[in-house]
Amino acid sequence: MEQKLSSAAKTFTPSPIQELSHLAQRSNAINLAEGFPDFPAPSHLKNAAISAINSDFNQYRHVQGICDHLANIMKEMHGLDFDPRTDMAICCGQTEAFAAAVFAIIDQGDEVVLFDPSYETYEGCIRMAGGIPVYVALEPPHWTLDPERFINSLTARTKAVILNRLTNMKWHSPHNPTGKVFTKDELETIAGACRRRDCIAITDEVYEHITYDNMKHISLASLPGMQERTIITSSLSKTFSVTGWRVGWAIAPAFFASAIRNIHVKITDSAPAPFQEAALTALRSPPEYFEKLRREYESKRDYIVQMIEGIGFQIKFKPRGAFFLFAELPENYLLSDVEYVKELIKQAGVVAVPGCGFFHTTLSTEKLSQVGCRYQKRYVRFAFCKSSATLAAAAQKLAELSDAMGCDIGGKNA
Amino acid sequence: MASSPAVKDAVSNQNNSNQSTQQPLQHVAKRLEKFKTTIFTQMSSLAIKHGAINLGQGFPNFDGPEFVKEAAIQAIKDGKSQYARGYGVPDFSSAIAERFKKDTGLVVDPEKEITVTSGCTEAIAATMLGLINPGDEVILFAPFYDSYEATLSMAGAKIKCITLRPPDFSVPIDELKSAITQDTRAVLINTPHNPTGKMFTREELSTIASLCIENDVLVFTDEVYDKLAFEMDHISMASLPGMYERTVTLNSLGKTFSLTGWKIGWAIAPPHLTWGVRQAHSFLTFATSTPMQWAAAVALRAPESYYDELKRDYMAKKEILVEGLKAVGFKVFPSSGTYFVVVDHTPFSLENDVAFCEYLIKEVGVVAIPTSVFYLNPEDGKNLVRFTFCKDEGTLRAAVDRMKEKLKRK
Repeated sequence: MEQKLSSAAKTFTPSPIQELSHLAQRSNAINLAEGFPDFPAPSHLKNAAISAINSDFNQYRHVQGICDHLANIMKEMHGLDFDPRTDMAICCGQTEAFAAAVFAIIDQGDEVVLFDPSYETYEGCIRMAGGIPVYVALEPPHWTLDPERFINSLTARTKAVILNRLTNMKWHSPHNPTGKVFTKDELETIAGACRRRDCIAITDEVYEHITYDNMKHISLASLPGMQERTIITSSLSKTFSVTGWRVGWAIAPAFFASAIRNIHVKITDSAPAPFQEAALTALRSPPEYFEKLRREYESKRDYIVQMIEGIGFQIKFKPRGAFFLFAELPENYLLSDVEYVKELIKQAGVVAVPGCGFFHTTLSTEKLSQVGCRYQKRYVRFAFCKSSATLAAAAQKLAELSDAMGCDIGGKNA
Repeated sequence: MASSPAVKDAVSNQNNSNQSTQQPLQHVAKRLEKFKTTIFTQMSSLAIKHGAINLGQGFPNFDGPEFVKEAAIQAIKDGKSQYARGYGVPDFSSAIAERFKKDTGLVVDPEKEITVTSGCTEAIAATMLGLINPGDEVILFAPFYDSYEATLSMAGAKIKCITLRPPDFSVPIDELKSAITQDTRAVLINTPHNPTGKMFTREELSTIASLCIENDVLVFTDEVYDKLAFEMDHISMASLPGMYERTVTLNSLGKTFSLTGWKIGWAIAPPHLTWGVRQAHSFLTFATSTPMQWAAAVALRAPESYYDELKRDYMAKKEILVEGLKAVGFKVFPSSGTYFVVVDHTPFSLENDVAFCEYLIKEVGVVAIPTSVFYLNPEDGKNLVRFTFCKDEGTLRAAVDRMKEKLKRK
């Protein structure tokens, strides 16, 4: 009966991450793998949701107020004018907004450029819509964009460029982990190419409010000639620590937004009603809320950088946004990232994610294959969207490990 | 490339404002021809404008039960607001399996054979995208719920349609036998059926089953109204001999528990089919609302008395509406299940179902849904409109009174 699977579904295989997470569960380890908070959602938000349920906001709804707030936020943050009546689609999380956007613009055979390392869900979605993912590798250790490599990846069939601006997450499968924030120059390179070749950009901005070192989040849509060809996707999940509520959105010029809405209605029909209502409260949060969010995550970032440096990693690239540290294995560790993570679970009782799953090989990385893709097995991703207690406990366990093993985990040679 | 109506309006504005901008129309995917603004939205806007009583859209104007709402609130308080396991909270998957066993006698493994989705709508989309290849032939029964055609076109399927006709909307067996062939990939069944209220009989299901076994065809069954079965018992195709291994059974929380906005649905299928559904689901929404799943587990463990009372309440509502519609002069077709009833509006001498519904809103102040939108060929539905009785009794009586007063046979 296996032939009954669609050809798209057949290409997908279970990830090695699954096995590791089972191992982690069995060992009762401290989880720095899963990219969602282990601290509670803000109480003003929980109360808003509870109140919505009690007030009978439980039938199919579209809460237009969300669009009104988003329009204000886009104006304030990026100086962009969007019409809340026509330029938005409220979806079940950024995942669905992205899926609907892809189905809205991708036809059989359309090429879609993605930056590597990246979130695996993008590829799956693109393939389901009949598109062809084309990966452009970002250059380690700072994950910079090589303009030539990027331009060379574009063909007459390129329909869209996916800008996973900041890192993204999916707890049981690999994704862009670097915490890189694209620079203005890099954005201009991408924008220039999109304009010249009449391509569409889809951006994933779920970490838009989690940036560090006073870095400003620049939306690709705010560059000249880009608003008309950019679909912005985002959600409540990371900003408000409610990854399980499934409220997200797509913001785009009216004809794109209308197409996305029409597709969304056929995929899920609407986002959960009580959480749409609570989203109004979330999006009305004062500037202090966002300041505190940034500050707290920044201090967690600094804490984990120190923690991981303490066990021999060289952190050449401190994350500028999101809540992941993508760290290169200690030089003297000769085995793979998967081996390292296994050992870390067994010996230290701490779980992280091997970086290999975020990298993809593709035709346009011939240069890379000459150099060797060895670096793709040299990274480990640590999540720091965890309570201070969890991070401290992890630090404790890792400190014990260093003492016991002398910074050389496993102690084995290849 | 033909433009779809939804896109046309936006594009004409674009043309007027800026001739030099490149045409954006070619960017929008071809599949969008099937994705138009729905009739439901259009009718609802018109309804609000005229202060009409809405018996069109199929969701209750009363709320879900307290014990389920309380469970959701408790889940939020207990900190269950982060990602659930992609294919479902384990306790909820178990509850689905328990309920399925009570309903069908079938024992399924919640870990391998159940996928939780954002409503049955998403379960349908995930099933189509996970199990249907471009060019595959899929058989639908018209009239059908509008997302079937749309998601089949997303999957690139070839649709073959068998029309169910009044008065009893029974399955035309000869047409069915010539329709299902070696080339058929899947058959989609909705029972109890929206919009007609028809319930597929054991004979009909058995005939379909033997044709599917003979030709190695899958069956997808949408059973969201299974607890609103009034005139006969609901039968799940999966429970027929030889059928579980080739059936995907789809259902949801919303209709049974009057919580249509929570978006909790699921698909039950053998592991090799569940694999495909889960893959598509993981790219469509990735995970389903966590607190609502916890509450849904509580809901599905409700005692039989909940379901008995649900049926009793709906049967009382149905009687008010059906008696009223008959008294007004509609030809009312028997509806065995769901909370819908379909009627022939031609005694009122309007041109077609859309014209009748517009007239009904503007002149009488009541909303119904024109059924032509549920057919591949709209002509097939032009004599029929659909009313719903998922409203409180006061609302139903008020609607009937308005129709008695203002709707006259011509």
